[in-house]
Amino acid sequence: MNDDTLLLRQVNPSWVQQGRVTSQAFRPTPKDQHKLSVYDGDLISAENSWLHYTTRLQLASVGALAVTVMECKQQELSAVPDPEPFPEHAVIDFTGLGTSQVENKSKKLKAAAEVRGWKYQATAGEWR
Amino acid sequence: MADGTPKSASGTDGVEAASGGAGSKAFLKPRLTGARFEGHAIPLEFLKDLAVLEEMVIEVAKWRFLKANLERKRSPRGFTDGVELKLTGVEEGSAIPVISLVMASATLFPPENQAYFEEARESIVAAIGAAEQNGAIANHLPETALGYFDRMGRGLRDGEAIEFTTPTQKTPVKLTRESRRRLVLASSQVELTEEQTIRGIIPAADQEAWSFHIQLVDGRKIPAPMREPHLQTIKDAFVGYNEGLRVQLQGVVKLNRGGKLQSIESVEHVSILDPMDVAARLDELRILKDGWLDGAGVAPSSTGVDWLTAAFREHYPEDLPPPFLYPTVDGGVRAEWSIGPNELSVEISLSQRVGEWHALQLDTGADEARSLNLARAADWKWVVDQVRSLAGGNG
Repeated sequence: MNDDTLLLRQVNPSWVQQGRVTSQAFRPTPKDQHKLSVYDGDLISAENSWLHYTTRLQLASVGALAVTVMECKQQELSAVPDPEPFPEHAVIDFTGLGTSQVENKSKKLKAAAEVRGWKYQATAGEWR
Repeated sequence: MADGTPKSASGTDGVEAASGGAGSKAFLKPRLTGARFEGHAIPLEFLKDLAVLEEMVIEVAKWRFLKANLERKRSPRGFTDGVELKLTGVEEGSAIPVISLVMASATLFPPENQAYFEEARESIVAAIGAAEQNGAIANHLPETALGYFDRMGRGLRDGEAIEFTTPTQKTPVKLTRESRRRLVLASSQVELTEEQTIRGIIPAADQEAWSFHIQLVDGRKIPAPMREPHLQTIKDAFVGYNEGLRVQLQGVVKLNRGGKLQSIESVEHVSILDPMDVAARLDELRILKDGWLDGAGVAPSSTGVDWLTAAFREHYPEDLPPPFLYPTVDGGVRAEWSIGPNELSVEISLSQRVGEWHALQLDTGADEARSLNLARAADWKWVVDQVRSLAGGNG
C-alpha cells in the first residue's frame, strides 16, 4: 500500500439518489468503531471487490468508489491494511474525531471520490 | 314514545322556513380547523364533504322517527318533502360555515316533525363524539347511516378537523381523518374511500378501456380509471416508465378495512413529478426494512416520514434546489445539497424532530455546524435562508 493506492469503498443502494452518493458512504457507522472498511486496490480490482462484497459477504452495493491513501493523509486520516476479515481488507481510521470533524473529512473524501468517478458500477439489475 | 313526539324536541330550533327565514337560527355551525381553512375561507373542493350532510340528516331523521314510532313501517308521506340544508353564511374564525335547515313551507311542515331533524343532528354529532373517544358509535347511529361518513369529511387532511357543537353538545366533537375512519369502519361497508395523493410509475394503460395502472414504490400495481384531461400526461408517464418517470395522482381511493389501498375510484389530477421530488423520494425510504445497511440500519418510521414530507411541503420553497435525501443508520433522514463548492447537510431525527446542520466550503475548508429544532418554523426558515443565500432563487 502506498500513497497512490486506491481504497475501494462499496456503496449501499439507499445511499445513491439520481446518481449522487451521500457523504455518509465515507463515514464510519457506530458498528464500525470509527474505522471505515475499504478494499486495498493494490490487491483486488474494483469489480472483484464488488463481487466479493455482494457474493461472498452477501452485502448490498451498487458499485465501488475510491479515494487514495494520499487523499486520506491530506485529511489527517491514516489508512492501513487490516487483513483479518479477508486479505484485501483495509481501514481508514477516524478514531478520536468529533462529529464536525468527521463531517468535514467524510465530505472531502466523498468529493475526491466523486471527481474520480465510479471505479466499478453495477447495472441496475445486478444490484445486490 | 307512543305518541311519536320526540322527547328532545325543542320546537323549531335551527329550522328555517324558505318562505320566511329572516331571523332564523343556524342548524349546524361546524368549525373547520387546519391550514386550508385559515383566513375565513373554505376551499370549493371541500364543499362536497359537507354536502352529504343533507342526505345524512334526512335519513337519520327518518330513522329517529321510526325508532320513536315502532308501529310504523315507514316515515309519513311528505316527511322529508322540501327539506334542504343550505349554506347560509361563513363566519369568521378558522372558517365556520353556517348551515340552516330550510323547509319548503313552514305551514305545511308539522313542527313535531322538525324536531326529528334536530334529533338527527344530535345523533350524528354524538356518533362523531363517540368515534373521537373510541366509544360505542353504534349507540348513536345505525350501521347504514354510518356509511355516509364514507363521503363526509373524505377530503380531510392530517391536522384538519371539522368541529361540531349542538344545543346539547356544548363541547366540540371533532371529525378528523382518524375519527372518520372509525365511523366508516363501524358501518357495514366493506371498503372505505379517502381522498389521497399517491405517487408512482405507470406500467400499463388501456386507451380502449380508459384505464391504467399506477405502480407504487412497493411494487403493487393499482388500477385506476382514465379521463380525457389526463390522457396525455398518462401517455407521457407510460413512455417514461423505463426511466422511472413518476407521476403524482390526486383522487379518491378505495381502502380495505385494514386501510390498505385497493383501487382508485376517481382521479382529479395527474402530474409528472420532478425526478428530485421530495415526497416521492421519501416514499422510497418508507419501504426500507430494519437491517437495510448491511444488517444494521433502522428503517425510518412511517409517521416520521409523514411528518418530514409535510414539513418540507410547508417550509421548503419550490424555487430552491431540492435536497438529496438519504436514510441514516439510526432511522433518520439526511438532506444534502451540493451548491458550487458548498456541501450542506442536515441530519434529521424523525422521532425528536431535530436536525444537525453542517456546511462545508470545499475550497476554503470553512465550516459551520448548528443544532436545529425542526418542530419550529423559524429553524426551517433558517435552513431555507442558508440554501437561498448560496443558490439564489426568488425572494
